[in-house]
Amino acid sequence: MNEVPVTLWVNGQTYAVRVSPRKLLSDVIREDIGLTGTHVGCEHGVCGACTVWVDDRPTRSCLMFAIQAEGHAVTTIEALAQHGQLNVLQQALHEEHGLQCGFCTPGIVMTMEAYLHEHPNPTVDDIRDALSGNLCRCTGYQNIVAGVQKAARVFAQNSSGATSAAGNESTHLSEGGREYV
Amino acid sequence: MSDAVLDSAVHHQTFTAIGQSMPRVEDYRLLTGTAKYLDDIEVPHALHATFVRSPYAHARIFRIQTDQAMAVPGVVAVVTGQDLARWTQPARMAPPIEGLFPMEMTTLPIDKVRFDGDPVACVVAADRYTAEDAAELVMVEYEVLPAVTDMFAAAEEGTPLVDETLSSNLVSHQTYAKGNVAGRFAEADVIVEATFSQHRQTHVPMETRGCVAVWDDGRQHLTFYIGTQVPHPMRTTLAARMGLKETQVNVISPDIGGAFGQKIALYREELTVAALARELHRPIRWREDRMENLRAASHAREDFVKTRAAVTKDGRILALHADLFSDFGAYSFFPANYMIRVVAMLLPGPYKIQDYSYEVKVALTNKCPAGPMRAPMAIASWVTEGTIDAVARKLKLDPVEVRRINMLKQDDLPYLTATTELYEDITPRETLDRAVHSFDYHVRRKEQERLRVQGKYRGIGICSVIESTTYGSEFYRKAGISGTGHEAAWVRIEPTGVVNASAGIMGSGQGYETVMTQAVADGLGCNPHDVAIHLGNTLLAPYGMGSRGSRGAVAGVGTTFLAAQQARIKVLAIAAHLLKLRSSKDLQLTDGQVVLETDGQWRPTGLNLRDIAQTAYLNPLALPDGMEPGIEAHVAYDPPAMTYSNSTHICEVEVHLDTGVISVGPYLVVEDAGTMLNPQLVEGQLLGATALGIGGVLFEHVVYDENGQNLTASLMDYLLPTAVETPEIQMIHMGTPNHRTPAGIKGMSEGGVMGAIGAVCNAVSDALSPLGIVVEQQPLSPSYIKSLVKKASKTAR
Repeated sequence: MNEVPVTLWVNGQTYAVRVSPRKLLSDVIREDIGLTGTHVGCEHGVCGACTVWVDDRPTRSCLMFAIQAEGHAVTTIEALAQHGQLNVLQQALHEEHGLQCGFCTPGIVMTMEAYLHEHPNPTVDDIRDALSGNLCRCTGYQNIVAGVQKAARVFAQNSSGATSAAGNESTHLSEGGREYV
Repeated sequence: MSDAVLDSAVHHQTFTAIGQSMPRVEDYRLLTGTAKYLDDIEVPHALHATFVRSPYAHARIFRIQTDQAMAVPGVVAVVTGQDLARWTQPARMAPPIEGLFPMEMTTLPIDKVRFDGDPVACVVAADRYTAEDAAELVMVEYEVLPAVTDMFAAAEEGTPLVDETLSSNLVSHQTYAKGNVAGRFAEADVIVEATFSQHRQTHVPMETRGCVAVWDDGRQHLTFYIGTQVPHPMRTTLAARMGLKETQVNVISPDIGGAFGQKIALYREELTVAALARELHRPIRWREDRMENLRAASHAREDFVKTRAAVTKDGRILALHADLFSDFGAYSFFPANYMIRVVAMLLPGPYKIQDYSYEVKVALTNKCPAGPMRAPMAIASWVTEGTIDAVARKLKLDPVEVRRINMLKQDDLPYLTATTELYEDITPRETLDRAVHSFDYHVRRKEQERLRVQGKYRGIGICSVIESTTYGSEFYRKAGISGTGHEAAWVRIEPTGVVNASAGIMGSGQGYETVMTQAVADGLGCNPHDVAIHLGNTLLAPYGMGSRGSRGAVAGVGTTFLAAQQARIKVLAIAAHLLKLRSSKDLQLTDGQVVLETDGQWRPTGLNLRDIAQTAYLNPLALPDGMEPGIEAHVAYDPPAMTYSNSTHICEVEVHLDTGVISVGPYLVVEDAGTMLNPQLVEGQLLGATALGIGGVLFEHVVYDENGQNLTASLMDYLLPTAVETPEIQMIHMGTPNHRTPAGIKGMSEGGVMGAIGAVCNAVSDALSPLGIVVEQQPLSPSYIKSLVKKASKTAR
């Protein structure tokens, strides 16, 4: 099939690629741009492993053609940790053992990171509800929920200006925001 | 490995790293998207394979026309079973087991297809999109045959044969008896019967299957990238099927996105890709899509068990008989009795039942082949504990009392079961009592009665689990299967005093790199930060049996621990020599520092692991006379015939009669997995296993119609539990070490599945007991529950 030129803006960088118009955004991110942290688990929009942000909104990259992403800012999992430091949510998931095989993890991080920015004080039920669009086969979700709760606490402490009370966790906060988009 | 090392491993070790919830060393790459799974490995100029699959459950293949597909630009090859038969050897499954018929399969089917999704041709093209387009153009002419979709019907005379080389679809049939079962039934006050029907499920690893084959024509060597639980057995099988020497194949397993037993066998698609890479002299990759994974990878769990218990009127079980039946699907990737045999073996559970008999049958059907799925014996605990509940109902006794009357106590151990399994260092009575106490069982019983008056149907379910974890070579010998249970590991101290280590196991989320790091740190006496673990490359790792069952802890980590202890012996011998001591008996390596015991105090010697390593590698003349330079330990270790963990699951459910919906929780697990290598990881495994069990009971179901069409080949039809349906699980640990294994490790991570099935099913039966309802089949879908309620209310009228 004929390829067309597409310019994509991913993690703040511009990528000019030639792809078939039917090529999925997930495949282009992985194969043409070379960012393989976005995982493809079902290719029919159910599992959530391929979640990226398109203009800051969590989006299933397997349900979108790459050409549709032209002119939009795409953010992938690779953008979240900066200078070798996990961001707040990643760190909390690490501490709470909120991942096992890790295949669903990038999608979960992208979904819940965006969720926490819009819902800084979620209840456990809220978190479980927000997480329900991402399938995990390993963890039984409990430790993911604990990780998200922990991250929410750190975000809350940071926004209330309690920098000293937040301890070490707050030092990662500047990397946890979205200024890299 | 010397007896002295094993002895010290079992009895005389204090731990500093083992037993700590050390954060996982795997996590950074997994959290940042920098991990390398199969599809993340770039191979320049690789072609993409895709498979043409049968739309019929059972059909003769008349002709396969490939010319239209070949005409698509970018298509390099289209091959069929005939081609593969020239390039590869068929797989023969013929262990010498009485009552088990041998089966053989070609790499791709040649004459007929046997299930919906059976691969009939492979298209290789420049990219996956083109390959899939072309696959649509491969024309296969079929003559449709009647499909055999019900295992009971399959075994009857005159049913069409799934495998025409056999005389019947009943591929395996065994009986067993111990004690005087008939005599005991004659003595019984009551005979209690119960029925358990478990539905077909599938593993659904979030990462589907896939592989990349790179054939080096100059070296005549195959590099095969594949997410596999068993790198070395995979290499052996792949080499044999391709007519290569094992020296001509290297299997490399990258990070694996979940496996759950689905990534053990060498599948036909994978062999096809490897063979094509050699034939076409081009690297080829394959990534199955989710529909293929649900339809054609591997299924599991379709088991039926009927029990009859001979019981006294005070609730003592005198004898047990079980009839087991299992649906094995269309092909044999494992011995057909492999999974269900373990169920039969475990059915007496934690109870004193010496008079036990069983009959076990396995049938072939026109459905996706069955394989082991996390807890292949999953049904066992439901059957045992469901039978106990049936006894309690019949005699109007409390189910906890019936358990206590029959359960093994510490005085009974060690205990040889009716199926000649040896139970040691288990605590079934303790986990039961603790569960009942911590769950406020008696308070909840009263509350349950109160709520029933208000029309709320709550139930409490209990399931005690005896979990077979590590299968030693002795087990395989007894089972008649040509396998072994040993594992191998090496530990190498590098010249700078840092430590590389490897073993034959391969992780898919368990956190092996972390717990092996902890084991090396304690076995050797070094800092965990100085340890790196390397798994999954058959040229790097020692030949081991890989990951299956729950052998990772005892076999994999235990062997690594022993290898680290061996390395320590050499380190301390060098240290003693450098310190001019006569022996190393007063020396110890702690956190990488050599310390000397004088007057009951450990004092620094000024030597550390780096100093010793520098001497061993760079100044060998300073070593004791006759000692080899370098510090490397290789150990192979064969665990006991079997190790057992145990647990008790207890939960409450509420059944909503109007909708048939079941809410689960609170939920408590009291478990005894022996020495915990890493409590946080043990809990993670337990949570995952329990959730998988609950999902299986309530939602997951592979559905075939009467023609053998798979109706659940998307994740919108095959329902996995989400964060909303999965309950919060509380855990209590007992930690009774196994006295025969390194560090007292027992293994775990399948029992959660077993306990969840039994606890939830028993709780639902308990909730619905006022209506006279007993759930006898899974899944406990709203429609099934509503149909039971409807039937019960009709009967009541």
